[in-house]
Amino acid sequence: MKIRLSFLFVLTLIVFILCVFFLSLFEEKSYVPEKTNNKIENFSIKDFYTDKSLNLKILFEDEKYIIINIWSSWCIPCRQEHKHISNLSSFNSSKIIGLNYKDKKNNAIKFLNELGNPYDTILSDKDGTKAIFLGAYGVPETFVIDSDLNIIKKYIGPINSEIVNEIRNLLNDY
Amino acid sequence: MINLIGNYSLIFALIISLGTMFFSFKNFKYNNILDFNLIVLVFLQFILIFCSFCTLLLAFINSDFSNLAVYNNSHTTKPLFYKISGSWGNHEGSLLLWLLVLSLFSLIFLIQSKKLSVSFRSLSIFFQQIIIVGFILFIFYTSNPFQLIIPTPNEGLGLNPILQDPALAIHPPILYLGYVGSSIIFSSSLAALVCKYTTNQWARDIKKWTLISWIFLTIGIMLGSIWAYYELGWGGFWFWDPVENVSLMPWFCLTALLHCSSVLEKRSSLQSWTIILALCTFMLSMSGTFLVRSGILNSIHTFANDPERGIFILIFLSCLILLSLIIYFKYNNFEKSNKSFFVSKETAIVINNWFMMYFLAVVLIGTIYPIFLEVITKEKISVGPPYFNQLIIPLLIPFLFIMSIGTKLDWIKNKEINVRYKKIVLLILSVLISYLIAKHLNTKILYSTVLISAALYLLFISILDLKNDKLKWSQKTSHLAFSILIISIILNSIFSEEQSVNLKAGEEKKLSKYTIRFEKISKSQIENYTSLKAEIWVSQNNNELIFYPELRLYKVPETITSEADIKTNLFNDNLVVVNYLKDTDYLNIRYQKKPFMLLIWISALMLAVGGILGLRKKY
Amino acid sequence: MYGKKVKLRFTYLSLILVVLILSTYLVLKSLEENVVYFISPTDIKGLAEINYDKKYRVGGMVKKSSISMNSEQINFIITDYKNEISVKFNGVIPNLFSEDKGVVAEGFLKDRNFLEASKILAKHDENYMPPEVKKALEGN
Repeated sequence: MKIRLSFLFVLTLIVFILCVFFLSLFEEKSYVPEKTNNKIENFSIKDFYTDKSLNLKILFEDEKYIIINIWSSWCIPCRQEHKHISNLSSFNSSKIIGLNYKDKKNNAIKFLNELGNPYDTILSDKDGTKAIFLGAYGVPETFVIDSDLNIIKKYIGPINSEIVNEIRNLLNDY
Repeated sequence: MINLIGNYSLIFALIISLGTMFFSFKNFKYNNILDFNLIVLVFLQFILIFCSFCTLLLAFINSDFSNLAVYNNSHTTKPLFYKISGSWGNHEGSLLLWLLVLSLFSLIFLIQSKKLSVSFRSLSIFFQQIIIVGFILFIFYTSNPFQLIIPTPNEGLGLNPILQDPALAIHPPILYLGYVGSSIIFSSSLAALVCKYTTNQWARDIKKWTLISWIFLTIGIMLGSIWAYYELGWGGFWFWDPVENVSLMPWFCLTALLHCSSVLEKRSSLQSWTIILALCTFMLSMSGTFLVRSGILNSIHTFANDPERGIFILIFLSCLILLSLIIYFKYNNFEKSNKSFFVSKETAIVINNWFMMYFLAVVLIGTIYPIFLEVITKEKISVGPPYFNQLIIPLLIPFLFIMSIGTKLDWIKNKEINVRYKKIVLLILSVLISYLIAKHLNTKILYSTVLISAALYLLFISILDLKNDKLKWSQKTSHLAFSILIISIILNSIFSEEQSVNLKAGEEKKLSKYTIRFEKISKSQIENYTSLKAEIWVSQNNNELIFYPELRLYKVPETITSEADIKTNLFNDNLVVVNYLKDTDYLNIRYQKKPFMLLIWISALMLAVGGILGLRKKY
Repeated sequence: MYGKKVKLRFTYLSLILVVLILSTYLVLKSLEENVVYFISPTDIKGLAEINYDKKYRVGGMVKKSSISMNSEQINFIITDYKNEISVKFNGVIPNLFSEDKGVVAEGFLKDRNFLEASKILAKHDENYMPPEVKKALEGN
């Protein structure tokens, strides 16, 4: 009897602790990037196909917003998100810019031939230095930027259909 | 190709695990002679895991960026030493190292426990295999170190510069040796419970493993503090940071276990308590891994947050806890032996254990209380160092006194309590010295006097004990080391001085005690960072010291690190750290005086040496 | 009345109980004294009463061009874009402290608009900010 009681006591205590641990797993603990509406500087960058120098502002032409997607042929999540990018481009009037990150040109072309090219323009960031201007730290990442070069929204990691909807709503609201 | 070898050896190791579990269980049930197959299987498993680890190592050395882990954590320009340490510096690799050590220890346990009963050995191996299976599955499902990237990138992402430090590079494997050593204690005590094998023989065996884990854990914790002191440049060695606490908790448990297993060895009592401690040690190591790896803890050493990993470890942890709880309560019926008297070595050891448990509880509560509060009330808090200092330091006073008396008591019953003339003189001497020290400081005289005299008294007694033939050398060494450690920590904390100023180049600031001058700054480009070297003059009573602290500005990933300039001698450390203030000409300069730092490191090392001496004994 | 053994056992048990209660009391008391609450500038405005003897951690952004400094101290303003609080600090300033970046300052409140900080918390990477800061910013 005595043993039973102490067993139950210890068991409840431990179960309680484990439950709290379990719940705390879902508390926001990760160190997330800073507030997204910070301004980025205009920077010059080369076009992927023509190697012509462009700058970010030119890309807007008359558009108010553009979507920049950082991708790479070696990045596995990019493959998964590619169909969502295509989706986004078919639904959306805004320009979608691809930023090809630390990639070999041939591999990147192969990737696009295989999966399709949803981008209006592709920029090349061979050494990964341009992505720093955007405050990105990996692939894939997706940015919504307005013509004053404010980052409206930033998605780290592959996007999914929910995010596609979110971006569409976001751009419709503006 | 080479990645595949690593991957497949892991799969084979998993299959072998299942085989070993089957054989060991059969062996436990039906046999009196150890099945030779068992040794072969465990050996084979070790070789496979070793192979798999080697392929990862090779991938890092060759900078094979087709491997995701290598791509994320390495770079071609990294020195070879950091390429190698990079293999376990990341999450995936470190788990593989855990596994490697786990299988190595199982093998060693199986080979060197020949004198123990066969059913006990095979059952221990059975429990050990459960842990191994858990880890292999964990590696496969959430953190496979052999994931591929196709096509292969040309260059890796590099390693955070702050992690490029020799002490940090060897710190994880050593800490893991300590953690994993406790897994053997865990399985062996579960097996001992089931087989009713809690004998002297068993105590001797478990004591050896306790010592091994304890030594590695001690060295691991020390290396961690060395890293914090030299690399982070915060001018301290212990911050009561959650990640630090997590490694300290199993240490308290192991220290308690170390002492109480000798009671079991000599007197065959306290079985139940020994088992509880043994189980707790491993649970604490595992929960530590969980807390650190899942990113629940909010700390300076944040690892990536990944709930999936957290859930896996949590489930695994709950299974192990449940298993041990059930086994413990099912088989726990020891005879009570009440033969010892109050004034005896047993009592001293039990009191030691009580203190250890108190310290453990304080650290545990301080570490997980914020997690609980956040889940329950959504309030975000942190528990500061004063909490730990307030609860632990006052309790050190009786702890140190009992420690100095306890070693000389006899087993069962102390024949005579002889108060020797010499000891009284020592006590008075230590009180006198401490009073002088405390008076010199002019703060909280009574409290400091008592605290320092307790520590000094222990030091004197330990020095006297060096001549005592009744005690073992391991005990003498580690007790002496502990007393030096405590004294240096106390003196360090009360004699530390710190001044910080913001200065422009060429400026000078007179403070109450020193004058600090920021002479000049020079810029140079070194490999992958820009170095800013400042020249700082600190003068005190015509004594001038010139420091060259450095700032390193890294491009990828964009980081600034401060390199302290530390001038060390046996009794005193002087250091200057500078910090960079963006968009201003100011440098934030901090000058610190830290007495007895070297003594702290030396005594911590001596503590470990004491443990090693304890291993030497032949049975 | 009772045997010697029972008496001894009773003494042991009560001793254990007393020690347990005592240490629980000590731990709880010390926890209560030394817990540091995390708040945002807006929370401070809304606090019913301020405990001036207790440390707080205030998180938010460093307001643009609010930093002023001399050789002894640095002054700046923490804002959550809704409310702000002035901070005075003397000590080690982390490398990544700068305008328009997240910051956590720990110290004593002097009144609802002024914090005398004893510590500014550092993070290794400038892209990252403490979750508390994010929460404080999102809360508005």
